[in-house]
Amino acid sequence: MIAFEGVTRSYGEKLAVAGLDLTIPRGELFALLGPNGAGKTTTIKMLVGLLRPSRGTVQVAGHDLVRDPRAAHLHLGYVPDEPCLYEKLTGREFLWFIADMFGMPKAAAEKRIAAEISNFELGEFADDLAESYSLGMRQRLVFASSLLHDPDVLVLDEPMVGLDPRSVRIVKDLLRERTRGGMTVFMSTHTLAMAEELADRVGIMVRGRLQFLGTVVDLRARGSGSVEGAGGGESRSLEQLYLEITSTDGPGSSP
Amino acid sequence: MMPPPAPDAVPRPISSGAESGIFLRLRWLIARSTVGEMLRTSRLRVSLVILLSALFWGSLFGLFHEAFTFVDSLHAEVISLLFNAFFSSLMVMLVFSTGILLYSGLYTTPEARLLLTLPVRSETIFAHKFQEAFWFSSWGFILLGSPMLTAYGVVRHAPWPFFVLIIPFMVAFVAIPATLGGIVCMALVAWMPRLRLHALSIAVGAALVAMIGLAWMALASPRADAMSAAWFEQAFSRLSITEQRMLPSWWLSSGLIEAAARAKDGTVARHQTEALRFLAVLVSNALILQLVGRQVAARLHRLGASQLVSEIPTRRQRRMSWFDELLSRAGTDRGRPLRLLIVKDLRIFRRDISQWSQFVIFFGLLGLYFWNVRVFNYQHAYAAMIGFLNLAVVGLILSTFTTRFVFPMISLEGRRFWILGLLPVNRDQIVWSKFIFSFVGGIVPCCLLVALSDTMLGIEPWLIALHEVCCVVLCAGLSGIAVGIGARMPDLREVSPSKIASGFGGTLSLVISSLFIIAVVLVTAVPVHIRFAAQERGFAAAGWTGADRGVALGLAAAIVLGLLATFLPLVLGLRAFRRLEP
Repeated sequence: MIAFEGVTRSYGEKLAVAGLDLTIPRGELFALLGPNGAGKTTTIKMLVGLLRPSRGTVQVAGHDLVRDPRAAHLHLGYVPDEPCLYEKLTGREFLWFIADMFGMPKAAAEKRIAAEISNFELGEFADDLAESYSLGMRQRLVFASSLLHDPDVLVLDEPMVGLDPRSVRIVKDLLRERTRGGMTVFMSTHTLAMAEELADRVGIMVRGRLQFLGTVVDLRARGSGSVEGAGGGESRSLEQLYLEITSTDGPGSSP
Repeated sequence: MMPPPAPDAVPRPISSGAESGIFLRLRWLIARSTVGEMLRTSRLRVSLVILLSALFWGSLFGLFHEAFTFVDSLHAEVISLLFNAFFSSLMVMLVFSTGILLYSGLYTTPEARLLLTLPVRSETIFAHKFQEAFWFSSWGFILLGSPMLTAYGVVRHAPWPFFVLIIPFMVAFVAIPATLGGIVCMALVAWMPRLRLHALSIAVGAALVAMIGLAWMALASPRADAMSAAWFEQAFSRLSITEQRMLPSWWLSSGLIEAAARAKDGTVARHQTEALRFLAVLVSNALILQLVGRQVAARLHRLGASQLVSEIPTRRQRRMSWFDELLSRAGTDRGRPLRLLIVKDLRIFRRDISQWSQFVIFFGLLGLYFWNVRVFNYQHAYAAMIGFLNLAVVGLILSTFTTRFVFPMISLEGRRFWILGLLPVNRDQIVWSKFIFSFVGGIVPCCLLVALSDTMLGIEPWLIALHEVCCVVLCAGLSGIAVGIGARMPDLREVSPSKIASGFGGTLSLVISSLFIIAVVLVTAVPVHIRFAAQERGFAAAGWTGADRGVALGLAAAIVLGLLATFLPLVLGLRAFRRLEP
């Protein structure tokens, strides 16, 4: 559903993403981890069409983001780390704007908007202007808008920032349910616990290169020399393993 | 908990027309909400804006009516030349202003990033943002141009269709340079992302130099010839460069002149047909350029946006400049926090191109104008009055800066309270630091400009000294008003300085500043005028006369006004800022 093929992106002389080859199938929740400046945001920007690769291609549902961005965007939902809303629109008006942009029939849009308002508990303030919203309320509204058209691919950039514990729970439940229904989720996060809890696979990026790609179980196995709980050698916490991989003098190797 | 997605909620591509319809609805909703809110919460501001606009329009109409009556009586054909010069200058300015507005709208705003992630055509995004930029860059032109053209129609006894055609002519004309600005902007961003700022600066600089050069060529002549018939003739022959038939400004000028004309027998049909032809030329060119603009957007918009995202801001690691270091170390330890706050504001000012570039452009243009007032010959009394008018202009320009840049400083500081609140800095010092920054920053260029103006006008030394004192009074008062009201009415929710400045507090600050400038200039200018009048009539004898006492009293009144304008708002602002809970 998502395919990065030989993707390289540089900023002047600085290589932000180097030769990324990554395929994420339908229904998978993929978490991209890495320290600040590792290339996560660049990868996400290329995936949503804000940035073009210097080399290689990025495809969503078989559509190239550079050659046919509109077709690719029809299959995409995006929740940025800084939610953007029209301050002088109400939450409901914003949802209608997004639904219209995705060409949803009126009756279907009405149903979906009502459902998402209910899912994200937006009802209380859906008819207030967005300028009065807190960060958490904004984030919930952007989540709702990104799911309105039931996208095949949902891209999340630090999705839990600003959300209260109840909203975090709502989002986690939603991600599980939607991925079970076939939606592919690409998520960038710094929260290891969340990746561990939700992700089918994780990728750890360091200085523009994927240093690890696999399941959390693979990651633990790589750290301890055996799968945790299998009675093998000394097991280490996920945090320790992550720090080892991402440390500048760590053992990181190509995937 | 989550219902399965509805099977009919499948996204589908929509037509270009449907996309435009959605943006139109978006614009309507935003406009409705904005206007509704303004009417609910800012009635005073809205009334003030409408009143001032009407006043401005009426004054311009009166001014242009007089001017056209004068010019019409001299040389009727001169009108065409004036129109061409005026509209061609505006055309150049509109290309730049729309280009700059579109740069922000298409690439740098959060909305631009949102739209780039939606399945919407680039050409529709261009059309949507173009309409916005078109409105922002043309309203000033319409506010300035409509009283001028209405006055022209009235003076020439134009038939009614002329008045009906004014707005369509102006709108069709503005669309041409505005679209050109958009096309240039997209091409620059896509093909020369690294060079765009330099290219833009060079282009703006070249355009300014060309315009100043043109004005200089047109107006410069020996002092003795100034304002004479020969001077006019020479100036107009130089301005004829703007009468190129391929320029949209010529189509506009010619169309308007035709629309206002009558045949010798009083019939208008032939002239009206000709006017409509010119309008058709403007409209068709505007539409063709729109098509070109949309094609350019389809090819270059996403490419340009990507190029721009690719840029990494330069990370400066310069050491503290010698001036900053000197300022932060000079004086006592007790005053160090205050000096450090000033150094911080100074650095922000230096690194914010939008602040210092506007400062340089406005004061630079004013300097050029003052440098050129020597072209004309003046009598003493006339020169003194022009000197006071120039003083008022310097004050008014400074007041726009204090309102736009100094007034929002406290509000912006309020947002950083978590930094300042934890430092051993007295809240009063924050307010005083802004005042000193604004006062010292304003006094140097303003006093220099006033000295330049007075020297070029050949004003006597005592009057130069009086103007300089008034200038210091204005700088102190305007800084006090902006900082005091800024501290009294901070807007802690807003992050954009321009939006803070355009709020109620900013408007109030600007209005009070304008009244203060008028008051200071009047109380000093009127006694000086009376003194010169007395001298002319031979009333003034040597020594201390009643007229001299009047001048001294006027100066004293100006100083009292300055002290009031400085300290009253500052005291109110300090009190409010001490109580502020961010």
